[in-house]
Amino acid sequence: MHLQAQQGLMHTYRQRWRTRGPSAYLMSAILIGFYITLYWTDFFEQPAQQLGLGNKWMLYGLLYSVFMIIGGLYYLRHHGNSRYNQLRIATNVTIQVLLGFTLPFIMPMFGHPAFYFSYFWPLKYDYLYPHTLQALPVYLAVYTVVGALVVAPALAIFTGKRWYCSWVCGCGALANTFGDPWRHLTSSTSQSWRFEKYAIHTVLFLAFTSTAMVGIGEMLEFKAAWYAGLASSVKSWYGFVVGLILAGVVGTGLYPVLGPRVWCRNFCPMAALLGITQKAGRFRIRVKKDMCISCGNCTTYCEMGIDVRSYAQSNQTFTRSSCVGCGMCAHVCPRGVLRLESSWPQAADKVRQGIAAVDF
Amino acid sequence: MHVAIIGNGVAGMEAAMSLRSRDADCRITLISEESDHFFSRTALMYVMSGQMAYKDIEPLERDAYENLRLRRVRARVTGLDTAAKQLTLSQGEPITYDKLLIACGSRPRPAPFWPGYSELKGIGHFVTLQDLEWLEQEIHPDNGYDRPEREWEHVVDGVDSPYARRPSTFSQTGNRAKKPTVIGGGLIGVEVIETMLAAGLNPRFLIREEWFWPIALDTRESAWIAERLREHGVIVNLEENVEEFEGEHGNVARILTDRGTRETDLVVIAIGVVPNTDWLADSGIERDKGGGILVDKSLKTNVDDVYACGDCASVEWFNGWVRPEQLWYTGRDQGRIAARAILGDAVEYSRGTWYNSAKLMDIEYTTAGLVNMRVEGEQTWFYEERGTVRSTTRIIHKDGRVIGFNFLGRRWDHEVCLRWLDERRPLSWVLEHLNEARFDTEFVPPLVIPYDASRDVIQGA
Repeated sequence: MHLQAQQGLMHTYRQRWRTRGPSAYLMSAILIGFYITLYWTDFFEQPAQQLGLGNKWMLYGLLYSVFMIIGGLYYLRHHGNSRYNQLRIATNVTIQVLLGFTLPFIMPMFGHPAFYFSYFWPLKYDYLYPHTLQALPVYLAVYTVVGALVVAPALAIFTGKRWYCSWVCGCGALANTFGDPWRHLTSSTSQSWRFEKYAIHTVLFLAFTSTAMVGIGEMLEFKAAWYAGLASSVKSWYGFVVGLILAGVVGTGLYPVLGPRVWCRNFCPMAALLGITQKAGRFRIRVKKDMCISCGNCTTYCEMGIDVRSYAQSNQTFTRSSCVGCGMCAHVCPRGVLRLESSWPQAADKVRQGIAAVDF
Repeated sequence: MHVAIIGNGVAGMEAAMSLRSRDADCRITLISEESDHFFSRTALMYVMSGQMAYKDIEPLERDAYENLRLRRVRARVTGLDTAAKQLTLSQGEPITYDKLLIACGSRPRPAPFWPGYSELKGIGHFVTLQDLEWLEQEIHPDNGYDRPEREWEHVVDGVDSPYARRPSTFSQTGNRAKKPTVIGGGLIGVEVIETMLAAGLNPRFLIREEWFWPIALDTRESAWIAERLREHGVIVNLEENVEEFEGEHGNVARILTDRGTRETDLVVIAIGVVPNTDWLADSGIERDKGGGILVDKSLKTNVDDVYACGDCASVEWFNGWVRPEQLWYTGRDQGRIAARAILGDAVEYSRGTWYNSAKLMDIEYTTAGLVNMRVEGEQTWFYEERGTVRSTTRIIHKDGRVIGFNFLGRRWDHEVCLRWLDERRPLSWVLEHLNEARFDTEFVPPLVIPYDASRDVIQGA
């Protein structure tokens, strides 16, 4: 596979469906329609039964896997001339097909609850509710707690949040496969960065709050009517707004219009938490000194809307909390200026300056 | 103080930003004929191919001029009176200045020595925004999206300027080009070839020299590039000299060369760039034979209060040459130095050892030090890797010390290479430590030089 990186990208702005043309809006409308139908009607129950899949969520899992595989092939065709891209997409899609679909489908046949090993709190916001944990077998409860509170942040310290967001996570897998044709649509303006910082940390705060309120109520058996009512309405509003509207309808439905990482960048509490850990960890994007030609391929193809160019042209090795480490900036750079690294910084790298020089 | 800057490219814009960061009060005026917004010229090929939208190649957000209080004037500068400190413009009032910075860049080297060049439609270059618009018309008449509506009223057509608009063959025939030709085996040439391949065309590449890009590559390296070009359907013609263009109905139809007749319907000439300084002929500003503005170490011209930087200025190179440095990062560095000189600092522009990088099709290229300079007594160590990764490594050494690196196919950290050159490392030491300079992305296997290829060197040490 020797087609050059540029060849893989060269037609981006000559394909109407990838550039917010009428067909992009039509696709977006279809996707949103699909999610609304899936979440709020039983329309998909019958076809799910007919296919022997039990319920509509299993059908959704099957569709998800199919779209990931098709999108993964698209991705490899376009950016497959890179070891990092090959390994990352193959791993991510395999994990999702196995842990996000096959295993939850098989587990009930052996008398275990259907469990999604590739999801953690706070992305699955109900995983740490006491009643959820109590309902799980001990090994799964331990996995849930240790995974969310110890393993996930610890790995983010060592490898950056990419180990999850672009090697394991299902949202990331769909974004980087089915959503890949639209990765250049993510806005990289400073306004969009400002919005992202407020939005994602607000959701993180709400995730903590709703978990704490439900947890306190259940553990202390604090059953005052006003409190129980409040906790349950916080919980259900969080589930409705964040879990359904933002993650599904907006997150995936707007792929063809706002790019594939709307949810991951602006709303995902897991990404926020791992992002904070990433800032304190080893991951960074290293910038070669005085080699950048400011072409902007990195910024254009950053799916998280990071203005990578502003760092590259001011010779700043950097770590941004939102970076999911997809590696595309380094891949598309025509001057080989960028490299993803996760190793303890050497003396020379410690001379990090403040924020980007272009951030007026 | 009023600083006028001619040119809105990387040198001019970097100078303006440096001036503003030091002096909050000075008035700064940027004059540009080409563009209202600073853009990355090196990225024009990506707009042409469709890889990026036009706005993506602007490194600054559009309100930067307002935020930095930089006044912009859209005009061509037609005259400079250094005694009156005044610039006359193609449109609008003349501008008086206290300090002037000329950062007007390069223009494509014109080719009037080839009959037909000036008269025929369908012949052009690929350096300016206007060139982009012309080439896009010839290749993609109605197939571009997210293209800005450009305002060209200020551009004076029909005069000798790189920013004058060129009428396209398409405007006359309504046909898009099918048999394009690129003349000139260098970086811009190969970039234009790539954009044509992206458009589904099979261009012809006419190269005068024995092999592609002889100033940077040797025959073995160049053969690999030519092989890759041919794999993608490019017709590569080496050692072929253009003699004349022939047309039909005013459009180019044939190129006559010393090897015969080449049918074509579009010609892009990429035989280098020259300083865009003809307009200074009567100004008293001294220029060298090639047109480069002569400057001292602080980038001041022979006239007080007039400075020059970037592609239009001839500066002293690390090896003693005096000529323009037509590179992105030197334009930026010179802009910063010029700004400090204008503010009265005692600064000197000094150029470090040469380095550069590029991408030829999918093949990464990195160079540092004295390569293809024919240094007396130099020797070459060369290794071609043909495994999971294909790469070439060429190390130039003299008297046992490494003096230059040329790499294809892998990414290398030029900073490390430059340090080794400074430290005058022996070849054997460099070969043993070579992977410390590796800049490949993760999971790419390291370069393993078989013992056979390095035995003589290591044993000799």
